[in-house]
Amino acid sequence: MGLRVKIKSIWEESFMKSAALRWLGATLGLFVSTNVALADRSPEVWHYFAAGSELAAINGLMEYSNKIHADTPVIGRAIPGNVVELRRQLQTAFLGGNPPAVYQSAMGYELKTFVDGGRLRPIDDVWAAAKGEEIFPKGVQRVVKVGGKLWGIPVDISIINNIFYNKAIFEKYGIEPPRDWAQLVAACKKLRDNGIEPLGDASGPFWSLYNFYAPLLASAGKDGYYAIAQGKVSFKGPEFRKALETYRDTLVVNYAKNWSGKTWTQTADDVINGHTGMFMMGVWVSAYFKEHGWQPGKDFDFFPAPGTDNSVLIQMDVFAEPAGPDKTVATARNFMTAAASVEGQVAFNVPKGALAPNLKVDPSIYDYTGQRTLQQLKNAETSDSVLPNLFFLLPTKLGTELGVQIEKFAIDPSAGTEESVMETLEALRLELAEQNAFVKW
Amino acid sequence: MKRLGYHRTTASFCLFLALPVALFVTFYIYPIISTLCLSLYDWDGISPKGTFIGLRNYFTLFGQARFYHALLNNLQWLFFLIFIPTALGLALAAMLDRGMRGESFFRVVFFLPFTIPAVAVAAIWRWMYEPTHGLVTSFLEVIGLASWAQNWLGDPKIVNYALMGAMLWWTTGFAFLVFFAGLRNLPIECIEAARLEGANAWQIFWRVSFPLLWPSTIVVLGMASIDAMRLFDIVWATTSGGPAYASEVLATQMYDVAFGRLEMGRASAISVCLFVISGAFIMPYIRYLSNQVQENAS
Repeated sequence: MGLRVKIKSIWEESFMKSAALRWLGATLGLFVSTNVALADRSPEVWHYFAAGSELAAINGLMEYSNKIHADTPVIGRAIPGNVVELRRQLQTAFLGGNPPAVYQSAMGYELKTFVDGGRLRPIDDVWAAAKGEEIFPKGVQRVVKVGGKLWGIPVDISIINNIFYNKAIFEKYGIEPPRDWAQLVAACKKLRDNGIEPLGDASGPFWSLYNFYAPLLASAGKDGYYAIAQGKVSFKGPEFRKALETYRDTLVVNYAKNWSGKTWTQTADDVINGHTGMFMMGVWVSAYFKEHGWQPGKDFDFFPAPGTDNSVLIQMDVFAEPAGPDKTVATARNFMTAAASVEGQVAFNVPKGALAPNLKVDPSIYDYTGQRTLQQLKNAETSDSVLPNLFFLLPTKLGTELGVQIEKFAIDPSAGTEESVMETLEALRLELAEQNAFVKW
Repeated sequence: MKRLGYHRTTASFCLFLALPVALFVTFYIYPIISTLCLSLYDWDGISPKGTFIGLRNYFTLFGQARFYHALLNNLQWLFFLIFIPTALGLALAAMLDRGMRGESFFRVVFFLPFTIPAVAVAAIWRWMYEPTHGLVTSFLEVIGLASWAQNWLGDPKIVNYALMGAMLWWTTGFAFLVFFAGLRNLPIECIEAARLEGANAWQIFWRVSFPLLWPSTIVVLGMASIDAMRLFDIVWATTSGGPAYASEVLATQMYDVAFGRLEMGRASAISVCLFVISGAFIMPYIRYLSNQVQENAS
C-alpha cells in the first residue's frame, strides 16, 4: 500500500512538472510568435475613412503610393468612428511604443496637442519637396504649422458653409437661391407655407455649430473669427450675442420639426424625398445625394450661406507622422509625398467628392459641385478668406463644449438658454486663457 | 511523508493558481490602482507625463452640474432596470410556464433580442426612432395615434425613456430566461399542495412560486444593478449622451472627457466615483452570493 502511494505521488509530481513545463512553453511560444507576427506587419496608415466613397478614396491613395513607392508599401487600418476614436487608439499605440507610420488627423489644435506631447515628427522636408507654400492655400498652411514647423499634409478640403437645396421644390414654388438673410427667411417662409420643412439640421455637436459659423462670421467678421479662435473675444460680448440672435432669428426658427432626433443622413434623405427644402451641410452631402441617384446641378444645387459671401469655411483632413520607430520613417515620408502630389490628391478626392488642397490639380477632375466649390475656394484665397473650422482652432475642450452649447441653443433658443450658453463658454474661455491654451493661428 | 505530500499538494495549487492570479492582478487590480493614481494628475493622454494636482479633479467634478446630471441618469436607469425588465421577464416566464402551445417558439422570440450586440441594437433603434419616417412613428400613424409620435431621440425630456424602451426590448430576454429556468425547477409538490388546499393561480404564483424564485430574482436584480451602473454602449452608440448631455451617463461622460476633451485625469476621477458608487449598490449583492456559496459549501 505504501509503495502504491509512493508511486502515485511520484507520478503526480512528474505529471505536475511536465504540465507546468508545457504551460510555460505554450505561453512563451505564444509571446514569441505574436512578436514575430507584429514585427512582420507592413507599416500602417490609420484612418477613419471606414466605408463608402471615403474608403474608396483612401484605398485609391494607398494604391497610388504603393505603385510609385513599391519598396515601401503601406496598408490601411480603418478605425471605426471619428477623430475621438482614432485618438483613443493612438493613445494606446503611443503608450505601447507602436504607433502607425502615418495617421489621419484633424487640423489646427488637434495637431498642436500631439506636437506639444512630443508625439509627431515635423515634415518640413516633405513640405519643401512638395513646394507646399506654392500649392496649398494660405488658410490651409496656417493650420498645419505649429511652432514654426510643419506637421501635416492636407489631403482633402470640404467646404461647410453652403446650403444645399432640392431644385424641384425651389422651381415648383418659384424660389430663387437667397443671397442675404432676408431672402433666406423669405424663402423659408414660402416653403413652410407650402407644407415643406424649410431647413434641415441634424443631431450631434458638429452640425448646428457649422450652421452657426455663418451668423458668427456675419457678426464678427474675418478678424473677429480669428480673434475668437485666439481666445480674445468674450462669449458674453456683443458680437457673440448678436451671432446667437441672428442664428436664432434666421436659421433656428426655420429648422425642420424634430431635426434634433435625426442623423445627418436621415436629414439628407428628407431633402431627397421632398420633405425638407434646404440643408446647410458640408460638401460631403453632395456625394451622399449622388449615391442616392441625384445629379448635382439637376436635382440639387447649393448657394453660400448669407454672411459668408467671399469667404469659405473649411473642414480638412491631414496626414501626420508619429514620432515612432525609425524603420517607418522612409515609408511615412514616401506616403506623405505621394499624398501631397497632384496624382495622389486626384486618386483620393475623385472618389471622395471633396476638393484637393493642392491647387495645381486640374479642375476637370471635379464634377459640378467640385467645380463650383473650387471656384469658391479660389475666390476666397485671393482675399485670404479661407477660414478653417473654428472647432479645430480652439482648445479641444472649448471646441467640443462650443458644439454642445450651440446644439443646446438650437434645441431651445430661449433667453435663459442664451444666457446659460454664454456663461458656460465664457467660464471655460477664462479658464483656458489662464492656462495659455489658445493659439495665435 | 504526510508533510511532503501536503507541500506537494500546496505547490500544485499555487502553480495552477499563479496564472489566473497574475491575470487578475494585471488586468483588474493594477488598472484600478493606476486609475486612482491617474485621477490625481492633469494629463491629456498624449504627452509622456502629467502634472500632479492632488484632489483638484474631484473638486472640479463635484462642482459641475454635468456630473450630477449624469449620476442622476444612472440612478434613473438603476430604478428602471431593477423593476421594469425584471417584472416583464417574470410575467413572460410565468405566462410561458403554463405549458401553452408554441412554447419553444416564444422562448426563442423572447430571448433572441438579448443575443444581438449592443451596437446593432443601437443602430436598429436609431432607425426605428427616426421621428418622421421611423417604424415607431409610422406605426402610431397607421393606428391613428399620430399625436403620440415624439422626437424620440432628439427631445431632451424624453430621450432617456426612449433609450429605456430600446433597453427593455433588448434585456428582458435575460430576466425571462432566468425566471423561466427557475420556475421549471420549482418543487412540484409545493404547488400541488397549494392547489389541493384550494389556492387559485394568482395565490399559487404570489405565495408559493415567487418566494421560491428568490435565488433567480437575486441573480436578475444583481445583474440589473451592474448593468445600470456600467451602462455605456447603447447610450453612446445611439445618442453619444446627447442631445446636449440629456442622455449622458457616467460612463459616457468619462469617455467624452477622456478622449473627446483629452482630460485623462478628470475622466479617471469620474471612473473612481463610478467605481465607489457602483460598489455601494452592488456590494450587498456580492456579499449575498458569497454567503450563499459558503452556506452551500458547509
